[in-house]
Amino acid sequence: MAVAGAKVRAVAAEVLDAVISNGESLDTAIASHEVRISPDDRSLLRMLCYGALRRHWTLQGWVAQLLERPLQRKDRVINALLRIGLYQLNDTRIPDHAAVSQTVEAARLLRRPKLAGLINACLRRFQRDNLADISPATEEARWNHPQWLIEMFRRDWPDDWEAILCANNERAPMWLRVNSSRHDAVSYRAQLGDLAIPAETLAGVPDALRLAEPRGVDELPGFAEGDVSVQDAAAQIGARWLLGSKATRVLDACAAPGGKTGHLLEVGGEEIALTAVDSDASRVESIRGNLARIGRSATIIVADASKQSEWWDGQAFDGILLDAPCSATGVIRRHPDIKLLRRASDIERLSDLQSGLLEALWPLLLPGGRLLYATCSTLSAENEAVLGRFLASHDDAVEDDVLPNNNIRDLMRRRACGYQILPGTAGLDGFYYACLEKKVS
Amino acid sequence: MAKLKILEFPDPRLRTKATPVEVVDDNLRAFIGDMFETMYAAPGIGLAATQVDLHKRLLITDVTADKSEPHVLINPEILERDGVTISDEGCLSVPGYYEEVERAEHIRVRFIDRQGEAQEMEAEGLLAICIQHEMDHLDGKLFVDYLSEAKRQRIRKKLLKERRHQSAAVVL
Repeated sequence: MAVAGAKVRAVAAEVLDAVISNGESLDTAIASHEVRISPDDRSLLRMLCYGALRRHWTLQGWVAQLLERPLQRKDRVINALLRIGLYQLNDTRIPDHAAVSQTVEAARLLRRPKLAGLINACLRRFQRDNLADISPATEEARWNHPQWLIEMFRRDWPDDWEAILCANNERAPMWLRVNSSRHDAVSYRAQLGDLAIPAETLAGVPDALRLAEPRGVDELPGFAEGDVSVQDAAAQIGARWLLGSKATRVLDACAAPGGKTGHLLEVGGEEIALTAVDSDASRVESIRGNLARIGRSATIIVADASKQSEWWDGQAFDGILLDAPCSATGVIRRHPDIKLLRRASDIERLSDLQSGLLEALWPLLLPGGRLLYATCSTLSAENEAVLGRFLASHDDAVEDDVLPNNNIRDLMRRRACGYQILPGTAGLDGFYYACLEKKVS
Repeated sequence: MAKLKILEFPDPRLRTKATPVEVVDDNLRAFIGDMFETMYAAPGIGLAATQVDLHKRLLITDVTADKSEPHVLINPEILERDGVTISDEGCLSVPGYYEEVERAEHIRVRFIDRQGEAQEMEAEGLLAICIQHEMDHLDGKLFVDYLSEAKRQRIRKKLLKERRHQSAAVVL
């Protein structure tokens, strides 16, 4: 009988190659490939693909050292397989013998039997020459980020950039949002405790629970009924912040996939009328799904929020959540492919898009109403720079810089405008919030 | 010690029903040593004598990564089987293909060991699967026989094609 376990490595190499060579997103590539392996192997597949992307530049350096000449273009999946092999040897507890033999066998499964020997030789040489002990030759290999992004973090965060880069390469914990209209977090935590699922609360984020270990949602009591959702605690700060001013007619402007939409409804109850807008029809379906699960409803509109003539009924809102499209540089630990797929030029484009959305939504806000701007970016260009420009050019806009509660003070970094949560702080994703108020003339 | 050639599907010799081992002697023990060398080099976790063209009821396994649990089963018989488990199986005689096969989860098996002593053993998990897979070989059966006819033919064609390419390469 032949060793099983080669197939998951072969599929991992194909997923990795789809991301590296074709620019596919990791989520998409995993979704289209994982059906080919048994459900038992899928967590190993994820571990290998996420890990190899977190260590992308380190692995790239080793591969360059091990291959005497680059592989032919048609064999580039073998380059990805070699990364999968090296990642196992260096970063996992998989026994070396198994890692080597199954990765070599995977080359045969990938229809490259002639390159199986090459994989074997490279992995053996990596062990023999202790390549892992040699210090990385480039900043990219040292920090496992592209150079342009290292530069941006260094410029924006002169005291914190190293900690940010490290946090981006860590695994993120699983956070839950307890549906506050049904349970409080402490009582739900007791239910989890009965099932031997340990979880912790976080001061200042009352609906959040952090699981000690990630779990399948099927293991969470009441998940299907909407008692609980999966959402990073950093993303849970927005709903209570916005609704703290007793807003009743609320707009969620870039709502998909609906995580914050659901939270607004859980917290706001029957008192708020919520309109959720998103331009992506397929992602709007996930808003419907999320709301159906928690048993709440909103007016859901497929439209570009910045083109108000296409969707707005002319009635102003007293609360607007603008969770703007962004580089997602605050959630690299959950999406390591961002490091490969984003380009430096994206940041300016996104910054323009964000300014355009703010500009377009501002007239929809009642005087005295508040707009909460949020991104999961950690770059100034998408955060305080956007807000700074906006405030300078709008006399009727002022920042409301009072935190929604004082317990989150230690999580937040005050910026020229707004507040930044850095990734890894208390186990949170990187997030930015700024609250604007419209002056009553 | 020698590394033996492994027969590959659809070689008709893989369909031979093996006959019981009569005597366990040094000759057979030397052959068993060669089987282990062949299996570890492949690499595999089980090998039936049928696969190396000896049509005797003999199989070996070692499901560990560090070669720490070699088993030799001569004239094996399954006494009890229970439970159901489904897993991806591959076979050194069907290189490159892995498909789901259903097996008993737990078995009790009687056999003769390398010294010629009668033994009984309980096995579960991967070891149980492996023993069942190898015992099939002794009856001329392959894991592809559990798949659909269409799937089996597809594998057969692809393997034959690969082999033609290989022999062409040798000639050149």
